[in-house]
Amino acid sequence: MANLEDIISDIDSLPALPATAARLASMLMSGESDITEVAEIVRVDEALSMTVLRYANSSMFGRPGREFNLRESIIRLGNATVLKIVMQQQIGQMLRDGGVAFGLERGAMWRGALGGAFAAENLAKEHGFDDPDLCFVCGLLRDIGKLALDIRYGQDYAAKVNACLKDSMTFQDAEREAFGTDHAEVGAALAKHWQLPDRMATVIQYHHTPPADPADHDMLIDLVHAADIICLWAGLAVGYDGLQYHLAPHVKESLSLNRRTAEIEITAMWNRVREIEDAMNGTTHERHVA
Amino acid sequence: MSSTTTQRTNATGKPIVIGVADMAVSKDPKAELITHALGSCIGVTIYDPTTHVGGMLHFMLPNSKINADKAESNPYMFADIGIPKLFQAAYELGATKENLIVCAAGGAEVLADGGHFKIGSRNRTILRKIFWKNNILLTADDTGGTISRTLHLSLADGTVSVRTKGQGQVLWPI
Repeated sequence: MANLEDIISDIDSLPALPATAARLASMLMSGESDITEVAEIVRVDEALSMTVLRYANSSMFGRPGREFNLRESIIRLGNATVLKIVMQQQIGQMLRDGGVAFGLERGAMWRGALGGAFAAENLAKEHGFDDPDLCFVCGLLRDIGKLALDIRYGQDYAAKVNACLKDSMTFQDAEREAFGTDHAEVGAALAKHWQLPDRMATVIQYHHTPPADPADHDMLIDLVHAADIICLWAGLAVGYDGLQYHLAPHVKESLSLNRRTAEIEITAMWNRVREIEDAMNGTTHERHVA
Repeated sequence: MSSTTTQRTNATGKPIVIGVADMAVSKDPKAELITHALGSCIGVTIYDPTTHVGGMLHFMLPNSKINADKAESNPYMFADIGIPKLFQAAYELGATKENLIVCAAGGAEVLADGGHFKIGSRNRTILRKIFWKNNILLTADDTGGTISRTLHLSLADGTVSVRTKGQGQVLWPI
């Protein structure tokens, strides 16, 4: 049986987080960001600079206009939004082909990440969580462990897990039975390897099993956990693991999730995913009409 | 957005992919329609063997009353609006109700949510309710459980197949 150490031992073959994303993540999360410094980091990445300018001029942010200066664009968007854009773009490039180990179609893992990010952010705002942007980034990153499993095992991963899977068992438990670890634990190890903040790694590790014990409880984990379930209901990034996951009872209670609120969260999340996909692809959903 | 007939063709010969909260109909006998990752969502296929008109809907939630604004901009998200639109679009291409072969797949549940949500089973219930009220027979289905499904319809002969965890099965012809 393999274990976590085996999987991450060949660390050089694991996906690398672009330096831009790691630097901005720790700078913006520590609250010690300086607009000039952020602009300098973004400036050296041409594709990222273009994306920031495009967003700054987007009606999505309620301020359509013609802003061509990178520094002014960052001020217009705010540091937290810039962090979200960086993560979306740079993680997005990595995730588009991800999820082979879970039988996902191309693009599905990225859509699931985006859906989790928006659902977590929506929930954070509705429940008065003090940092919705952090929630967004954690929702985006929650399944990065699947990338490492893609590289290490490819399509064999799900086949071996499914051989251990029983009806009442979560897919995560079957992963542990088959491999001695699971995608959440691998994801946390990858986050540490990328030198992302410890709290992000903890959220990734426990996003399917949020601690209810007050000593370990973190509302951030609860929010990302609920966002993950909302994505499953919506059919985002559902692969060979299907819907074999639990909704933690304490999260259902604390977020007052019921049929009505769950469906509202699903529609809100899905519409934001579509908005972003349209903005990034330059498309609309007029394709429904002949 | 006014939604009338959706008729998508694919000159490259690749299947036409129906996304989440999406729908397509076609009368091209070479067309293949496919939708991936049906979890709680349900995929519905209809096919008229005499005209080779067929269509597929991938709806997400049972009832549009939850969000009337979104229902207008994205009717295929909801069963109560999306299913009638699927049938209407097929009729506009020449399908007739009496000939239609109707199949469905999806409607799975999260493993344990305390039985409070049942989004998959509520999707299954409204599907049957709409069909019952409109005298439509569900020819074959593969629904429920906790698994993800991929649904495929070939307009050449109306074959409907479902793929789960890499394993395929023909849903129609039975």
